Amino acid sequence: MKNFAEKMELFSRNRVVNWHEHVWFGADGELDEKLMDGLMEDVEQTHTDQIVCSLPILAQKVTPEEFRHCNDSLAIALKKYPNKMKGFAFVNPGYRRETDYEVHRCIEELGMIGVKLYYQYRIDDPVMRDLIETCIRLDVPILMHASKLNYHPEEQPFVSNGPHFAAAAREYPEATFIMAHISGGGDWEWSLKAIADYPNIYTDISGSVCDDGLMEKTVQMLGAKRVLFGTDGSYSACIGKMIGADLTDEEKITILNNPDFARYLVK
Amino acid sequence: MLIDGVAYIGNWPFRPLRYNTAEGMLERMDRCGIDCAVVSSLNAVLYQDVMNGNRELAEQVRGCSRLIPLAVINPAYPHWKEDFAYCLDELGMKGLEIFPGYHNYPLDLPELKELLKMAGERKVPVRVPGRLVDIRGRHWMDTPENLGGAAMKTIVELSPDTDFLICSCNTAVAAKAIQSSAIPHPGRILYDFSRLERFSFSPSFQSLLKTAGEDQVFFGACQPFQYPEVQQVKLYYSNLPEETEKKILSGNLMEIFMPEQK
Repeated sequence: MKNFAEKMELFSRNRVVNWHEHVWFGADGELDEKLMDGLMEDVEQTHTDQIVCSLPILAQKVTPEEFRHCNDSLAIALKKYPNKMKGFAFVNPGYRRETDYEVHRCIEELGMIGVKLYYQYRIDDPVMRDLIETCIRLDVPILMHASKLNYHPEEQPFVSNGPHFAAAAREYPEATFIMAHISGGGDWEWSLKAIADYPNIYTDISGSVCDDGLMEKTVQMLGAKRVLFGTDGSYSACIGKMIGADLTDEEKITILNNPDFARYLVK
Repeated sequence: MLIDGVAYIGNWPFRPLRYNTAEGMLERMDRCGIDCAVVSSLNAVLYQDVMNGNRELAEQVRGCSRLIPLAVINPAYPHWKEDFAYCLDELGMKGLEIFPGYHNYPLDLPELKELLKMAGERKVPVRVPGRLVDIRGRHWMDTPENLGGAAMKTIVELSPDTDFLICSCNTAVAAKAIQSSAIPHPGRILYDFSRLERFSFSPSFQSLLKTAGEDQVFFGACQPFQYPEVQQVKLYYSNLPEETEKKILSGNLMEIFMPEQK
């Protein structure tokens, strides 16, 4: 692999912030510390300076007890890696009062810097309004799972994709939304077209899909300043996409350490 | 030397592709340090008569020793036997690729078995991709079919003396399924790692290496669908012994496609 080490200097020579990763529960229902430690070894090996994790539950129904346990477990991880790891609080906005309390607890007491949502409700569902307004008041971003599936959409009936984010951004132009994993959310052209006109919607490049041209199209439609580096379990794929994309060094450096998001890391 | 064992030339109806002509692919290969690529006709996947695609491909790669062409054959279509022979004898193709999902035939089609045996008799390998495009982003007019581990096992069992290149699927799972077969397979079976991950959450690349062994793994970049660098990253971080890396980068495919140079 002639000259490949040179290409990898993109990571070793620049600051890298990974905005989409996870820690998970083990079989015993508690934080899987071995898996987490493995992730942090990967972080070191790949020259990642900071990693932002959450611990969501991939199910339609999630109770307040469950999401509190997720966040308490994430807090253990944050304490173990205080310099490298930041956290996003996971909640189910269907429990409006409990969600509001939990977001405040996670941001103000546990030091988390954003909110992670899954597919319990769509981002433009009215039930989201309280949560979005809370995030605006606390000045934290909302990272939400997203997907536009043509096959098996029944598996995620309330999943959000581009048009849902656009509707939420229209209603709340002062909120900061991250439409998750453009490389793992199905028809990426669909979602990019839908969100292109909304400057408060960002996306991250995480996901295992490595479609050639995806990176260039994303930057062409959103601009590099609306794109964040992320992996979501697919480190090789995401590093490879960064290395292989026909983007300028300046664009790549912007994605690896998005200046619009720097302030969240120092909260 | 680096050989990309999984590459295509042609168009795809659901999104524009780049570097998808012979000239374009060579340009990208130069940029990525890829010396040779094993290519088939992407147009043949969806043309009614695959031979239109095979002829186009032969025309494009004529005189270019860096592009090793495979014939796409549909054994459920008339005249397939003569077409396969024509591709090998007249068009200079070095192997076969099958697409049961796109060409709409079951794996127990008698002609499929016959085709695979023909490949074995002619001593050319058969490439079998699990899919071309990730199911999550697939167009609604594309096929919903994928070939997984069980299907790969069924296919290789049809012709034990034939060499196979299993690719574009979870090959760690496919290798395990194929190894569980009760039917001995004297032919070689190689696996790519384009759908596997190297890092700790799901280290399936390491799992494939452990299951299949270094003599059965090859580099496949899935050009022009994917960024080739993604596969290079997996090797870069794996810190494999030099000899192992050489086999994966080129040695194992050279034994199949260029035995005289090995």
